[in-house]
Amino acid sequence: MFKRVAVVWAVFALLTMVSCGKAPEEEMQKANTAIEVTRTAEAEDYAPDAYRMAMDTLNAAMAAKEEADGKFSLFRSYGKSKELLVRAEALANQAATEAQAEKERVKGEVTNLFTQAKAVLDSADMAVKKAPRGKGTKADIELIKNDLAATTSSYEEAKSDFDAGKYAVAKTKLEVVIQKARSVSEEIAKAAAKKTRR
Amino acid sequence: MCSRFRFLLVAVLIVILFSGLVVLFLPRPHPPTASLENAKLAFDQAAKADALRYAEQPYRMAEELMQKGWREMARQNGRLALFRNYEIAESLLTLAIRTAKEAAFQAQERNRYLDSLARSESADLQSELWLCRKILDGSLVNFKAERHWSLADLSLKMSEVLIDRGEYEEACQTIAKGKESLRRLIDLLAADTDDEAQKIGIWRLWVQETLAQSRRKGTYAVIVDKSVHKTYLVRAGKLVQTYNCDLGYNSARHKILAGDGATPEGKYRVTAVKSRGSKYYKALLLNYPNELDKERFEENKNKGIISSHAQIGGFIEIHGEGGKNKDWTEGCVALTNSEMDHIMQYVTVGTPVTIVRRSDLWP
Repeated sequence: MFKRVAVVWAVFALLTMVSCGKAPEEEMQKANTAIEVTRTAEAEDYAPDAYRMAMDTLNAAMAAKEEADGKFSLFRSYGKSKELLVRAEALANQAATEAQAEKERVKGEVTNLFTQAKAVLDSADMAVKKAPRGKGTKADIELIKNDLAATTSSYEEAKSDFDAGKYAVAKTKLEVVIQKARSVSEEIAKAAAKKTRR
Repeated sequence: MCSRFRFLLVAVLIVILFSGLVVLFLPRPHPPTASLENAKLAFDQAAKADALRYAEQPYRMAEELMQKGWREMARQNGRLALFRNYEIAESLLTLAIRTAKEAAFQAQERNRYLDSLARSESADLQSELWLCRKILDGSLVNFKAERHWSLADLSLKMSEVLIDRGEYEEACQTIAKGKESLRRLIDLLAADTDDEAQKIGIWRLWVQETLAQSRRKGTYAVIVDKSVHKTYLVRAGKLVQTYNCDLGYNSARHKILAGDGATPEGKYRVTAVKSRGSKYYKALLLNYPNELDKERFEENKNKGIISSHAQIGGFIEIHGEGGKNKDWTEGCVALTNSEMDHIMQYVTVGTPVTIVRRSDLWP
Protein backbone atom coordinates (compact mmCIF):
# COMPACT_ATOMS: atom_id res chain seq x y z
CA MET A 1 0.00 0.00 0.00
CA PHE A 2 2.78 2.37 1.00
CA LYS A 3 4.56 1.53 -2.26
CA ARG A 4 1.44 2.37 -4.25
CA VAL A 5 1.08 5.73 -2.54
CA ALA A 6 4.77 6.44 -3.08
CA VAL A 7 4.43 5.61 -6.78
CA VAL A 8 1.44 7.94 -7.09
CA TRP A 9 3.41 10.75 -5.44
CA ALA A 10 6.44 10.08 -7.58
CA VAL A 11 4.35 10.21 -10.76
CA PHE A 12 2.72 13.43 -9.53
CA ALA A 13 6.10 15.03 -8.74
CA LEU A 14 7.48 13.96 -12.11
CA LEU A 15 4.46 15.41 -13.89
CA THR A 16 4.89 18.61 -11.95
CA MET A 17 8.51 18.87 -12.94
CA VAL A 18 7.87 17.96 -16.57
CA SER A 19 4.98 20.36 -16.98
CA CYS A 20 6.94 23.18 -15.37
CA GLY A 21 8.02 24.65 -18.75
CA LYS A 22 11.09 26.83 -19.00
CA ALA A 23 10.44 30.57 -19.23
CA PRO A 24 11.30 31.82 -22.75
CA GLU A 25 14.22 33.93 -21.54
CA GLU A 26 16.20 33.67 -24.74
CA GLU A 27 13.24 34.59 -26.95
CA MET A 28 12.44 37.46 -24.62
CA GLN A 29 15.95 38.81 -24.82
CA LYS A 30 16.00 38.50 -28.60
CA ALA A 31 12.65 40.27 -28.93
CA ASN A 32 13.74 43.09 -26.61
CA THR A 33 17.01 43.53 -28.49
CA ALA A 34 15.09 43.63 -31.77
CA ILE A 35 12.80 46.35 -30.34
CA GLU A 36 15.84 48.35 -29.24
CA VAL A 37 17.28 48.08 -32.75
CA THR A 38 13.91 49.24 -34.10
CA ARG A 39 14.00 52.28 -31.83
CA THR A 40 17.56 53.09 -32.89
CA ALA A 41 16.39 52.88 -36.49
CA GLU A 42 13.81 55.58 -35.60
CA ALA A 43 10.97 53.29 -36.57
CA GLU A 44 8.62 55.32 -34.37
CA ASP A 45 9.04 58.13 -36.90
CA TYR A 46 9.72 56.31 -40.14
CA ALA A 47 7.58 53.13 -39.78
CA PRO A 48 5.12 53.93 -36.98
CA ASP A 49 2.53 51.30 -37.92
CA ALA A 50 5.05 48.48 -38.16
CA TYR A 51 6.62 49.62 -34.90
CA ARG A 52 3.27 49.65 -33.11
CA MET A 53 2.45 46.20 -34.40
CA ALA A 54 5.76 44.86 -33.11
CA MET A 55 5.23 46.57 -29.75
CA ASP A 56 1.68 45.25 -29.43
CA THR A 57 2.89 41.74 -30.15
CA LEU A 58 5.69 42.09 -27.63
CA ASN A 59 3.24 43.35 -25.02
CA ALA A 60 0.89 40.45 -25.75
CA ALA A 61 3.82 38.04 -25.46
CA MET A 62 4.85 39.50 -22.12
CA ALA A 63 1.25 39.30 -20.93
CA ALA A 64 1.11 35.64 -21.99
CA LYS A 65 4.32 35.01 -20.08
CA GLU A 66 2.94 36.73 -16.98
CA GLU A 67 -0.21 34.65 -17.29
CA ALA A 68 1.83 31.46 -17.48
CA ASP A 69 3.97 32.62 -14.57
CA GLY A 70 0.86 33.07 -12.46
CA LYS A 71 -0.39 29.53 -13.13
CA PHE A 72 0.15 26.51 -10.93
CA SER A 73 3.33 24.84 -12.16
CA LEU A 74 1.40 21.70 -13.25
CA PHE A 75 -0.56 23.75 -15.78
CA ARG A 76 2.16 26.24 -16.71
CA SER A 77 2.98 26.52 -20.40
CA TYR A 78 5.00 29.19 -22.18
CA GLY A 79 4.12 27.98 -25.67
CA LYS A 80 1.91 30.93 -26.55
CA SER A 81 4.36 33.41 -25.04
CA LYS A 82 7.26 31.89 -26.98
CA GLU A 83 5.31 31.98 -30.21
CA LEU A 84 4.38 35.62 -29.66
CA LEU A 85 7.93 36.58 -28.71
CA VAL A 86 9.29 35.00 -31.88
CA ARG A 87 6.62 36.87 -33.85
CA ALA A 88 7.42 40.15 -32.04
CA GLU A 89 11.08 39.73 -32.90
CA ALA A 90 10.25 39.12 -36.54
CA LEU A 91 7.90 42.11 -36.61
CA ALA A 92 10.49 44.31 -34.91
CA ASN A 93 13.10 43.28 -37.46
CA GLN A 94 10.61 44.03 -40.20
CA ALA A 95 9.83 47.44 -38.68
CA ALA A 96 13.54 48.24 -38.46
CA THR A 97 14.02 47.26 -42.09
CA GLU A 98 10.96 49.30 -43.12
CA ALA A 99 12.20 52.31 -41.13
CA GLN A 100 15.65 52.02 -42.63
CA ALA A 101 14.20 51.78 -46.12
CA GLU A 102 11.87 54.74 -45.54
CA LYS A 103 14.73 56.77 -44.10
CA GLU A 104 16.87 55.93 -47.09
CA ARG A 105 14.01 56.81 -49.42
CA VAL A 106 13.53 60.23 -47.76
CA LYS A 107 17.28 60.76 -47.66
CA GLY A 108 17.54 59.87 -51.33
CA GLU A 109 14.69 62.20 -52.17
CA VAL A 110 16.36 65.06 -50.30
CA THR A 111 19.74 64.23 -51.85
CA ASN A 112 18.11 64.49 -55.28
CA LEU A 113 16.67 67.83 -54.27
CA PHE A 114 20.16 68.95 -53.23
CA THR A 115 21.50 68.02 -56.65
CA GLN A 116 18.60 69.81 -58.31
CA ALA A 117 18.99 72.89 -56.11
CA LYS A 118 22.74 73.00 -56.72
CA ALA A 119 22.19 72.80 -60.46
CA VAL A 120 19.57 75.57 -60.40
CA LEU A 121 21.77 77.74 -58.15
CA ASP A 122 24.83 77.16 -60.33
CA SER A 123 22.88 78.03 -63.44
CA ALA A 124 21.50 81.19 -61.78
CA ASP A 125 25.01 82.09 -60.63
CA MET A 126 26.35 81.55 -64.13
CA ALA A 127 23.52 83.64 -65.56
CA VAL A 128 24.35 86.45 -63.13
CA LYS A 129 28.00 86.32 -64.16
CA LYS A 130 27.12 86.33 -67.84
CA ALA A 131 24.34 88.89 -67.52
CA PRO A 132 24.92 91.93 -69.73
CA ARG A 133 25.97 94.80 -67.52
CA GLY A 134 25.43 98.37 -68.29
CA LYS A 135 23.45 101.29 -67.13
CA GLY A 136 19.91 100.24 -66.47
CA THR A 137 20.67 96.57 -65.90
CA LYS A 138 23.50 96.82 -63.40
CA ALA A 139 21.16 97.94 -60.64
CA ASP A 140 18.80 95.03 -61.41
CA ILE A 141 21.68 92.58 -61.53
CA GLU A 142 23.03 93.81 -58.20
CA LEU A 143 19.62 93.31 -56.58
CA ILE A 144 19.37 89.87 -58.16
CA LYS A 145 22.79 89.06 -56.73
CA ASN A 146 21.39 89.89 -53.30
CA ASP A 147 18.51 87.47 -53.85
CA LEU A 148 20.91 84.82 -55.05
CA ALA A 149 23.14 85.31 -52.00
CA ALA A 150 20.11 84.90 -49.74
CA THR A 151 19.06 81.77 -51.64
CA THR A 152 22.55 80.29 -51.39
CA SER A 153 22.59 80.91 -47.65
CA SER A 154 19.26 79.05 -47.34
CA TYR A 155 20.79 76.19 -49.33
CA GLU A 156 23.58 76.02 -46.76
CA GLU A 157 21.01 76.03 -43.95
CA ALA A 158 19.26 73.08 -45.61
CA LYS A 159 22.61 71.28 -45.66
CA SER A 160 22.97 71.75 -41.90
CA ASP A 161 19.44 70.46 -41.37
CA PHE A 162 20.20 67.43 -43.53
CA ASP A 163 23.37 66.69 -41.58
CA ALA A 164 21.34 66.93 -38.36
CA GLY A 165 18.92 64.32 -39.73
CA LYS A 166 16.09 66.83 -40.18
CA TYR A 167 15.21 65.54 -43.63
CA ALA A 168 11.69 66.93 -43.80
CA VAL A 169 12.90 70.43 -42.90
CA ALA A 170 15.79 70.23 -45.36
CA LYS A 171 13.34 69.10 -48.05
CA THR A 172 11.01 72.05 -47.44
CA LYS A 173 13.88 74.52 -47.50
CA LEU A 174 15.30 73.05 -50.68
CA GLU A 175 11.95 73.27 -52.41
CA VAL A 176 11.82 76.99 -51.59
CA VAL A 177 15.47 77.39 -52.64
CA ILE A 178 14.77 75.78 -56.03
CA GLN A 179 11.70 77.94 -56.56
CA LYS A 180 13.60 81.10 -55.60
CA ALA A 181 16.67 80.22 -57.71
CA ARG A 182 14.40 79.66 -60.71
CA SER A 183 12.74 83.02 -60.20
CA VAL A 184 16.22 84.59 -59.95
CA SER A 185 17.12 83.04 -63.32
CA GLU A 186 13.90 84.41 -64.78
CA GLU A 187 14.71 87.87 -63.43
CA ILE A 188 18.16 87.70 -65.01
CA ALA A 189 16.61 86.72 -68.32
CA LYS A 190 14.24 89.69 -68.01
CA ALA A 191 17.12 92.05 -67.22
CA ALA A 192 19.07 90.68 -70.18
CA ALA A 193 16.06 91.14 -72.44
CA LYS A 194 15.77 94.73 -71.25
CA LYS A 195 19.41 95.31 -72.15
CA THR A 196 18.90 93.77 -75.60
CA ARG A 197 15.91 96.01 -76.25
CA ARG A 198 18.07 99.02 -75.40
CA MET B 1 -6.69 -0.38 6.91
CA CYS B 2 -8.04 -0.71 3.40
CA SER B 3 -11.52 0.53 4.32
CA ARG B 4 -9.98 3.42 6.17
CA PHE B 5 -7.93 4.32 3.11
CA ARG B 6 -11.03 4.10 0.92
CA PHE B 7 -12.89 6.33 3.32
CA LEU B 8 -10.06 8.83 3.25
CA LEU B 9 -9.94 8.75 -0.52
CA VAL B 10 -13.68 9.27 -0.85
CA ALA B 11 -13.50 12.11 1.67
CA VAL B 12 -10.70 13.78 -0.25
CA LEU B 13 -12.61 13.36 -3.50
CA ILE B 14 -15.75 14.84 -1.94
CA VAL B 15 -13.75 17.78 -0.60
CA ILE B 16 -12.12 18.32 -4.01
CA LEU B 17 -15.51 18.03 -5.74
CA PHE B 18 -17.11 20.41 -3.30
CA SER B 19 -14.24 22.87 -3.59
CA GLY B 20 -14.50 22.63 -7.36
CA LEU B 21 -18.23 23.37 -7.19
CA VAL B 22 -17.62 26.29 -4.87
CA VAL B 23 -14.93 27.68 -7.16
CA LEU B 24 -17.20 27.11 -10.16
CA PHE B 25 -20.16 28.92 -8.69
CA LEU B 26 -18.34 31.65 -6.85
CA PRO B 27 -18.70 35.05 -8.53
CA ARG B 28 -15.46 35.56 -10.48
CA PRO B 29 -13.89 38.94 -10.99
CA HIS B 30 -13.78 39.98 -14.63
CA PRO B 31 -10.48 40.97 -16.20
CA PRO B 32 -10.40 44.64 -17.17
CA THR B 33 -10.20 43.90 -20.91
CA ALA B 34 -12.37 46.90 -21.73
CA SER B 35 -9.93 49.13 -19.84
CA LEU B 36 -7.05 47.55 -21.71
CA GLU B 37 -8.75 48.21 -25.04
CA ASN B 38 -9.50 51.78 -23.97
CA ALA B 39 -5.88 52.26 -22.91
CA LYS B 40 -4.70 51.02 -26.31
CA LEU B 41 -7.14 53.34 -28.03
CA ALA B 42 -6.09 56.35 -25.92
CA PHE B 43 -2.45 55.55 -26.58
CA ASP B 44 -3.07 55.35 -30.34
CA GLN B 45 -4.85 58.69 -30.21
CA ALA B 46 -1.92 60.20 -28.34
CA ALA B 47 0.44 58.86 -31.01
CA LYS B 48 -1.75 60.38 -33.72
CA ALA B 49 -1.70 63.71 -31.87
CA ASP B 50 2.10 63.67 -32.25
CA ALA B 51 2.57 63.20 -28.52
CA LEU B 52 5.90 61.49 -29.14
CA ARG B 53 7.15 64.82 -30.44
CA TYR B 54 5.28 67.33 -28.35
CA ALA B 55 4.57 65.47 -25.08
CA GLU B 56 7.12 62.67 -24.94
CA GLN B 57 7.24 62.30 -21.17
CA PRO B 58 3.53 61.58 -20.56
CA TYR B 59 3.44 59.55 -23.77
CA ARG B 60 6.20 57.24 -22.56
CA MET B 61 4.62 57.08 -19.13
CA ALA B 62 1.26 56.09 -20.62
CA GLU B 63 2.99 53.36 -22.63
CA GLU B 64 4.70 52.00 -19.54
CA LEU B 65 1.51 52.08 -17.47
CA MET B 66 -0.39 50.30 -20.20
CA GLN B 67 2.25 47.59 -20.40
CA LYS B 68 2.29 47.15 -16.62
CA GLY B 69 -1.52 47.03 -16.44
CA TRP B 70 -1.66 44.52 -19.26
CA ARG B 71 0.91 42.26 -17.59
CA GLU B 72 -0.74 42.55 -14.21
CA MET B 73 -4.06 41.56 -15.78
CA ALA B 74 -2.38 38.59 -17.46
CA ARG B 75 -0.73 37.60 -14.19
CA GLN B 76 -4.11 37.57 -12.47
CA ASN B 77 -5.59 35.58 -15.34
CA GLY B 78 -2.99 32.92 -14.66
CA ARG B 79 -4.07 32.52 -11.04
CA LEU B 80 -6.91 30.36 -9.77
CA ALA B 81 -10.20 32.14 -10.13
CA LEU B 82 -10.58 32.18 -6.39
CA PHE B 83 -7.41 34.21 -5.95
CA ARG B 84 -7.77 36.61 -8.86
CA ASN B 85 -7.77 40.29 -8.12
CA TYR B 86 -7.75 42.80 -10.95
CA GLU B 87 -7.76 45.92 -8.85
CA ILE B 88 -4.12 46.80 -9.48
CA ALA B 89 -4.45 46.03 -13.19
CA GLU B 90 -7.59 48.16 -13.38
CA SER B 91 -5.89 51.04 -11.58
CA LEU B 92 -2.82 50.84 -13.81
CA LEU B 93 -4.92 50.76 -16.96
CA THR B 94 -7.13 53.62 -15.79
CA LEU B 95 -4.01 55.62 -15.06
CA ALA B 96 -2.63 54.67 -18.47
CA ILE B 97 -5.82 55.96 -20.14
CA ARG B 98 -5.68 59.19 -18.19
CA THR B 99 -1.98 59.70 -18.94
CA ALA B 100 -2.42 58.91 -22.63
CA LYS B 101 -5.29 61.40 -22.81
CA GLU B 102 -3.16 63.95 -21.01
CA ALA B 103 -0.32 63.31 -23.47
CA ALA B 104 -2.70 63.76 -26.40
CA PHE B 105 -4.10 66.93 -24.84
CA GLN B 106 -0.64 68.34 -24.14
CA ALA B 107 0.49 67.51 -27.68
CA GLN B 108 -2.60 69.13 -29.17
CA GLU B 109 -2.18 72.18 -26.99
CA ARG B 110 1.51 72.47 -27.83
CA ASN B 111 0.68 71.99 -31.49
CA ARG B 112 -2.02 74.64 -31.35
CA TYR B 113 0.24 76.99 -29.44
CA LEU B 114 3.13 76.55 -31.87
CA ASP B 115 0.77 76.90 -34.82
CA SER B 116 -0.63 80.18 -33.56
CA LEU B 117 2.81 81.36 -32.43
CA ALA B 118 4.36 80.60 -35.83
CA ARG B 119 1.46 82.27 -37.64
CA SER B 120 1.56 85.38 -35.51
CA GLU B 121 5.36 85.57 -35.76
CA SER B 122 5.06 85.14 -39.51
CA ALA B 123 2.47 87.93 -39.72
CA ASP B 124 4.75 90.04 -37.56
CA LEU B 125 7.70 89.43 -39.87
CA GLN B 126 5.53 90.20 -42.87
CA SER B 127 4.48 93.56 -41.47
CA GLU B 128 8.06 94.37 -40.45
CA LEU B 129 9.20 93.47 -43.96
CA TRP B 130 6.53 95.69 -45.44
CA LEU B 131 7.57 98.54 -43.19
CA CYS B 132 11.24 98.11 -44.05
CA ARG B 133 10.35 97.93 -47.74
CA LYS B 134 8.56 101.25 -47.39
CA ILE B 135 11.59 102.76 -45.65
CA LEU B 136 13.94 101.35 -48.28
CA ASP B 137 11.75 102.52 -51.14
CA GLY B 138 11.47 105.95 -49.61
CA SER B 139 15.19 106.34 -49.15
CA LEU B 140 18.30 106.10 -51.23
CA VAL B 141 19.32 102.66 -52.40
CA ASN B 142 21.47 100.85 -49.83
CA PHE B 143 22.67 97.57 -51.24
CA LYS B 144 23.71 96.03 -47.96
CA ALA B 145 20.31 96.84 -46.51
CA GLU B 146 18.66 95.34 -49.59
CA ARG B 147 20.62 92.12 -49.03
CA HIS B 148 19.26 91.85 -45.50
CA TRP B 149 15.79 92.52 -46.80
CA SER B 150 16.15 89.71 -49.34
CA LEU B 151 17.26 87.33 -46.61
CA ALA B 152 14.31 88.26 -44.43
CA ASP B 153 11.92 87.93 -47.37
CA LEU B 154 13.20 84.44 -48.13
CA SER B 155 12.89 83.50 -44.47
CA LEU B 156 9.26 84.57 -44.55
CA LYS B 157 8.54 82.50 -47.66
CA MET B 158 10.27 79.51 -46.11
CA SER B 159 8.42 79.84 -42.83
CA GLU B 160 5.08 79.95 -44.63
CA VAL B 161 5.81 76.61 -46.31
CA LEU B 162 7.06 75.15 -43.01
CA ILE B 163 3.86 76.26 -41.26
CA ASP B 164 1.76 74.65 -43.99
CA ARG B 165 3.64 71.41 -43.37
CA GLY B 166 3.19 71.55 -39.61
CA GLU B 167 6.87 72.17 -38.90
CA TYR B 168 6.06 74.96 -36.45
CA GLU B 169 9.24 74.92 -34.40
CA GLU B 170 11.37 75.12 -37.52
CA ALA B 171 9.11 77.86 -38.89
CA CYS B 172 9.64 79.88 -35.71
CA GLN B 173 13.40 79.45 -35.99
CA THR B 174 13.33 80.56 -39.62
CA ILE B 175 11.21 83.59 -38.70
CA ALA B 176 13.70 84.45 -35.96
CA LYS B 177 16.46 84.43 -38.58
CA GLY B 178 14.36 86.69 -40.79
CA LYS B 179 13.82 89.09 -37.92
CA GLU B 180 17.54 89.06 -37.21
CA SER B 181 18.16 90.10 -40.83
CA LEU B 182 15.69 92.95 -40.43
CA ARG B 183 17.39 94.02 -37.22
CA ARG B 184 20.66 94.23 -39.14
CA LEU B 185 18.90 96.19 -41.84
CA ILE B 186 17.58 98.64 -39.28
CA ASP B 187 21.08 98.90 -37.77
CA LEU B 188 22.45 99.77 -41.19
CA LEU B 189 19.79 102.40 -41.76
CA ALA B 190 20.47 103.79 -38.29
CA ALA B 191 24.18 103.93 -39.12
CA ASP B 192 23.28 105.80 -42.31
CA THR B 193 21.21 108.25 -40.29
CA ASP B 194 24.13 108.75 -37.88
CA ASP B 195 26.45 109.27 -40.82
CA GLU B 196 24.04 111.81 -42.27
CA ALA B 197 23.75 113.59 -38.94
CA GLN B 198 27.53 113.92 -38.85
CA LYS B 199 27.82 115.13 -42.43
CA ILE B 200 24.78 117.37 -42.65
CA GLY B 201 26.89 120.32 -41.47
CA ILE B 202 29.38 119.86 -44.31
CA TRP B 203 26.59 119.49 -46.88
CA ARG B 204 24.92 122.62 -45.53
CA LEU B 205 28.22 124.45 -45.87
CA TRP B 206 28.69 123.26 -49.48
CA VAL B 207 25.18 124.40 -50.42
CA GLN B 208 25.70 127.75 -48.64
CA GLU B 209 28.99 128.32 -50.43
CA THR B 210 27.51 127.40 -53.82
CA LEU B 211 24.53 129.71 -53.31
CA ALA B 212 26.79 132.52 -52.04
CA GLN B 213 29.12 132.19 -55.03
CA SER B 214 26.14 132.19 -57.41
CA ARG B 215 24.69 135.22 -55.63
CA ARG B 216 28.00 137.08 -55.60
CA LYS B 217 28.81 136.49 -59.26
CA GLY B 218 25.21 136.43 -60.49
CA THR B 219 25.93 133.13 -62.25
CA TYR B 220 24.20 129.81 -62.58
CA ALA B 221 24.84 126.87 -60.27
CA VAL B 222 23.42 123.37 -59.94
CA ILE B 223 22.61 121.69 -56.63
CA VAL B 224 21.63 118.01 -56.44
CA ASP B 225 19.83 116.76 -53.33
CA LYS B 226 20.07 112.96 -53.48
CA SER B 227 17.59 112.28 -50.69
CA VAL B 228 14.70 113.87 -52.57
CA HIS B 229 16.00 113.04 -56.05
CA LYS B 230 15.92 116.69 -57.04
CA THR B 231 18.28 118.79 -59.11
CA TYR B 232 18.02 122.55 -58.62
CA LEU B 233 19.17 125.15 -61.11
CA VAL B 234 19.90 128.47 -59.38
CA ARG B 235 20.90 131.84 -60.72
CA ALA B 236 22.31 134.58 -58.51
CA GLY B 237 21.45 132.44 -55.54
CA LYS B 238 17.79 132.13 -56.53
CA LEU B 239 15.95 129.04 -57.70
CA VAL B 240 15.27 128.99 -61.42
CA GLN B 241 14.14 125.43 -62.03
CA THR B 242 13.69 122.12 -60.20
CA TYR B 243 14.16 118.80 -61.97
CA ASN B 244 13.48 115.25 -60.78
CA CYS B 245 16.50 113.03 -61.22
CA ASP B 246 17.61 109.39 -61.14
CA LEU B 247 20.86 108.52 -59.41
CA GLY B 248 23.42 105.72 -59.14
CA TYR B 249 21.98 102.33 -58.24
CA ASN B 250 23.76 102.45 -54.87
CA SER B 251 22.63 105.96 -54.15
CA ALA B 252 22.74 105.89 -50.34
CA ARG B 253 26.51 105.93 -50.44
CA HIS B 254 29.11 108.47 -51.39
CA LYS B 255 31.15 107.26 -54.34
CA ILE B 256 34.47 105.89 -53.15
CA LEU B 257 35.63 103.73 -56.06
CA ALA B 258 34.86 102.74 -59.62
CA GLY B 259 31.90 100.41 -60.08
CA ASP B 260 30.31 100.98 -56.66
CA GLY B 261 27.18 102.42 -58.28
CA ALA B 262 27.20 105.41 -55.94
CA THR B 263 26.69 109.02 -56.93
CA PRO B 264 29.54 111.16 -55.58
CA GLU B 265 28.92 113.85 -52.98
CA GLY B 266 30.97 117.03 -53.18
CA LYS B 267 31.57 120.34 -54.83
CA TYR B 268 32.23 119.88 -58.54
CA ARG B 269 32.10 121.91 -61.72
CA VAL B 270 31.16 121.20 -65.30
CA THR B 271 34.24 120.34 -67.38
CA ALA B 272 32.56 119.60 -70.70
CA VAL B 273 29.18 120.22 -72.27
CA LYS B 274 28.17 117.42 -74.64
CA SER B 275 25.33 118.59 -76.83
CA ARG B 276 25.80 115.59 -79.03
CA GLY B 277 27.80 112.37 -78.97
CA SER B 278 26.60 111.35 -75.52
CA LYS B 279 25.31 107.82 -75.06
CA TYR B 280 22.54 109.31 -72.95
CA TYR B 281 21.15 112.05 -75.14
CA LYS B 282 23.13 115.07 -73.87
CA ALA B 283 25.56 115.36 -70.99
CA LEU B 284 27.42 117.69 -68.65
CA LEU B 285 30.70 116.09 -67.58
CA LEU B 286 31.79 116.81 -63.99
CA ASN B 287 35.29 116.99 -62.54
CA TYR B 288 34.87 113.88 -60.38
CA PRO B 289 37.20 112.95 -58.74
CA ASN B 290 38.05 116.28 -57.19
CA GLU B 291 40.97 116.77 -54.81
CA LEU B 292 38.94 115.79 -51.76
CA ASP B 293 37.74 112.58 -53.49
CA LYS B 294 41.33 111.68 -54.41
CA GLU B 295 42.51 112.29 -50.83
CA ARG B 296 39.71 110.17 -49.41
CA PHE B 297 40.37 107.43 -51.97
CA GLU B 298 44.04 107.20 -50.99
CA GLU B 299 43.14 107.26 -47.32
CA ASN B 300 40.66 104.40 -47.81
CA LYS B 301 43.28 102.44 -49.70
CA ASN B 302 45.86 102.98 -46.97
CA LYS B 303 43.38 101.95 -44.30
CA GLY B 304 42.54 98.82 -46.30
CA ILE B 305 38.88 99.84 -46.59
CA ILE B 306 39.15 99.33 -50.32
CA SER B 307 41.40 97.06 -52.35
CA SER B 308 44.82 98.35 -53.33
CA HIS B 309 43.88 97.53 -56.93
CA ALA B 310 40.69 99.60 -56.82
CA GLN B 311 40.19 102.46 -59.25
CA ILE B 312 38.63 105.75 -58.27
CA GLY B 313 36.39 105.93 -61.34
CA GLY B 314 35.32 108.94 -63.35
CA PHE B 315 33.08 110.20 -66.15
CA ILE B 316 30.41 111.31 -63.76
CA GLU B 317 27.87 113.32 -65.70
CA ILE B 318 24.50 114.93 -65.55
CA HIS B 319 22.92 113.29 -68.57
CA GLY B 320 19.62 112.46 -70.28
CA GLU B 321 17.50 109.29 -70.55
CA GLY B 322 16.29 109.82 -66.99
CA GLY B 323 12.74 109.84 -65.68
CA LYS B 324 12.75 106.10 -64.95
CA ASN B 325 11.69 106.81 -61.39
CA LYS B 326 14.42 104.56 -59.99
CA ASP B 327 18.15 104.73 -59.36
CA TRP B 328 19.81 102.97 -62.24
CA THR B 329 22.93 104.86 -63.32
CA GLU B 330 26.46 103.93 -62.31
CA GLY B 331 26.83 107.15 -60.37
CA CYS B 332 25.63 109.83 -62.79
CA VAL B 333 22.64 112.11 -62.34
CA ALA B 334 20.02 111.43 -65.01
CA LEU B 335 17.35 113.94 -66.09
CA THR B 336 14.69 113.48 -68.73
CA ASN B 337 15.73 114.49 -72.23
CA SER B 338 13.49 117.57 -72.22
CA GLU B 339 14.96 118.66 -68.87
CA MET B 340 18.44 118.16 -70.32
CA ASP B 341 17.45 120.44 -73.20
CA HIS B 342 16.34 123.01 -70.63
CA ILE B 343 19.39 122.89 -68.32
CA MET B 344 21.83 122.90 -71.26
CA GLN B 345 20.62 126.41 -72.15
CA TYR B 346 22.06 127.81 -68.91
CA VAL B 347 24.94 125.63 -67.87
CA THR B 348 28.37 126.11 -69.32
CA VAL B 349 31.86 124.79 -68.66
CA GLY B 350 32.85 125.90 -65.17
CA THR B 351 29.31 126.01 -63.75
CA PRO B 352 29.47 124.74 -60.13
CA VAL B 353 27.58 121.51 -59.42
CA THR B 354 27.19 120.62 -55.77
CA ILE B 355 25.88 117.15 -54.90
CA VAL B 356 24.74 116.43 -51.35
CA ARG B 357 22.99 113.45 -49.86
CA ARG B 358 20.59 115.64 -47.94
CA SER B 359 20.04 119.34 -47.72
CA ASP B 360 18.07 121.20 -45.08
CA LEU B 361 18.68 124.50 -46.80
CA TRP B 362 16.89 126.29 -49.54
CA PRO B 363 16.61 125.86 -52.55
